[in-house]
Amino acid sequence: MNPLIVDKVYKQYGDKTAVNGLSFEVAQGEIYGLLGANGAGKTTTMRMVLGLILPDGGSIRYRGKPYSTEQLSMLGYLPEERGMYPKIKVSEQILYLAQLRGMSRRDADANLKRWLDRFQVPEYYNKKVEELSKGNQQKIQFIAAVIHKPSILIMDEAFSGLDPVNVELLKSTVKELRDEGASIVFSTHRMEHVEELCRNITIMHKSNPVLQGPIRQIKSRFPREKVVIGAETDISGLDRIPGVVSATRTERGYDLLVSRKEAAQDILKHAMAQSTVERFELLEPTLNEIFIKTVGESHE
Amino acid sequence: MNSMWTVIAFTMRNKLRSKSFIITTIILGVLLVVGANVPYFIDKLTGPGSAAKVGYIAGEQDDIVKGLEQQFGLDDKRKVELVPVEASGSEADKNAALQQAIEGGKIKGYLTFTENKEVGFPNVVYHSKKMLDSNTSGTLQTGLQFVKTQQAVRDANLTDEQFTKLTTPVKLDTVQISDKNADGKTEAQQGTAIGLTYAILILLFMSVMITGQLIATEITAEKSSRVMEIIVTSVAPLKQMFGKVIGTFIVGLAQLVVLVGASVGNLMLPHNKGALDKYGIDLSSVEPKMIIFAIVMYLLGYFLYAMLFAAIGSLVSRTEDLSQTSMPVTMLTLAGFYIAIYGLTNPDSTFITVCSFIPFFSPFILFLRIGLADPAWWEIVLSVGLLIASVLAIGWLAAKIYRVGVLMYGKKPSFKEVFKAMKAYKV
Repeated sequence: MNPLIVDKVYKQYGDKTAVNGLSFEVAQGEIYGLLGANGAGKTTTMRMVLGLILPDGGSIRYRGKPYSTEQLSMLGYLPEERGMYPKIKVSEQILYLAQLRGMSRRDADANLKRWLDRFQVPEYYNKKVEELSKGNQQKIQFIAAVIHKPSILIMDEAFSGLDPVNVELLKSTVKELRDEGASIVFSTHRMEHVEELCRNITIMHKSNPVLQGPIRQIKSRFPREKVVIGAETDISGLDRIPGVVSATRTERGYDLLVSRKEAAQDILKHAMAQSTVERFELLEPTLNEIFIKTVGESHE
Repeated sequence: MNSMWTVIAFTMRNKLRSKSFIITTIILGVLLVVGANVPYFIDKLTGPGSAAKVGYIAGEQDDIVKGLEQQFGLDDKRKVELVPVEASGSEADKNAALQQAIEGGKIKGYLTFTENKEVGFPNVVYHSKKMLDSNTSGTLQTGLQFVKTQQAVRDANLTDEQFTKLTTPVKLDTVQISDKNADGKTEAQQGTAIGLTYAILILLFMSVMITGQLIATEITAEKSSRVMEIIVTSVAPLKQMFGKVIGTFIVGLAQLVVLVGASVGNLMLPHNKGALDKYGIDLSSVEPKMIIFAIVMYLLGYFLYAMLFAAIGSLVSRTEDLSQTSMPVTMLTLAGFYIAIYGLTNPDSTFITVCSFIPFFSPFILFLRIGLADPAWWEIVLSVGLLIASVLAIGWLAAKIYRVGVLMYGKKPSFKEVFKAMKAYKV
């Protein structure tokens, strides 16, 4: 049985439905992507998983058990809006939070030191949070979420506000946690992170799950309709080929949209007749495009 | 339970370490130590030699002056000293001499006499540079009155014995009557009771205001720094709230013990004994009942208000908005305190009796009544019972508000919104 099972949860605030019949399961050692525009119901879902609010319908099971305060020690949470005690020492507050999660002070202290070493900032142990840069505060926040080795980790906007170096650092850490067996629910607006990290995703739109499943399957459901040509010289008449919707000149060639993928062969022949083709590719849609398409279409 | 101790320990550690807390305690402590010794110093400063020097023309109205001198000499501490000023000639010359004496600092003011045949006693005018020198003029008035009576009585040819009888002041003692024991409180006990009641009222008021605000501020700060989201997912909000309230309470209590210790310790010093006696305060006459009720009322009052403040702190997202939102509760404490201050002089009035049953006021006012009036035992039981019931009710309500409040960001929610959120969160 999967460590985290969310089954048809439903949540209503007044007459507004916040989450409408959402179901998903997160396996051990899996990062699950929860995507959606702002206000789609991601945070509400996460808050329900964390037990902060109770669903009006449906159930959430943790290792087969319903929510109780005993589950708190196996949950880890990195909230969207980051925050620590600004005027309290890093060690003091991390140890406090770890103790609240049921860790002994000594274990927590050892863990904290290991994490600080891992992030190459052991000198922050005795610093106040307000003395740290924003990126480093994020690292501390991350440590606060994982110090007690949670088996279920909820990360809301995990890498927002970080520079590329730190994003890589945290990303590799998250992968490590996954490989150690944690079940991670992950939300972000950066689709390339989702493609890199997640096996399964749910795209939510206006409280409803609109697209769900393994990323590869989702992608295969969307037609390949983008063709990229790298060519040295101009190619004329590309937009007159049957099946081509549009053709745009780019720095190194052309981007084309096609209505059926068979048109690609005609395009290639046409291009080769006129110029040396350095690159030709029929692209699968990116998650970003799928997201915009799914969420954008239902906007109308 | 375990995690509640963690919250308590964390709250206490951070409070005890904070510079502002340490500095406040030291400043208050120093003020109290100084305050405890002030009566003694005032005594010292107003000791002999500080009597107001009042001049008169030497040789004028000898009888009256002698009588006055004799009268003033009777006081433990001479308030007025009469100083003869040598002068002769016309009225103007004499006045000039007296003026000169004032300029020279020899005297503070002077007396002049004009005969009044009708009364048989001269009209006396006290000239002073200082406006409203009621202290000196009051003493002079009493003195002159006495001298006049003496003269009149002497003219009536009374014997010395008759005269003494006539002038011995009436002795009036007040004893507070109690239902339970016929003894009641002696005057010393009453003075002590008033002093103690007053002191404890102020202590209760201050600690409720200071610690209450502190709790609210800390909760709002946790909320606005968003660390709250992590905390409420780590520990049950109830435990967190009570942990915070209890932690702050212990710190507040420790501070209180230090401050009370400092002032009582100083008051007990031997040199302060006399000074206290003068105000009718005898620390050894403090009834244990008063101390017990002071502690009970302090505890209940503290928790009642602390939980209200905690609930309010949980509703506000930014510390800037806190004082405005906590205004109603602040007004309640202020009202309770001022009603109690009014009650110090009218502990028996119906208004005070009624107020001693209103939970938000009773911590102040029931204590006042126990100290100064003599409420029936059922009144005490009823009032304390009501107070305990409201502490529990407010605790329950505050916990609910807290549970939803900590997750509500943005503008301060209205009652309706909080209520709706409670229903939505199923708490």
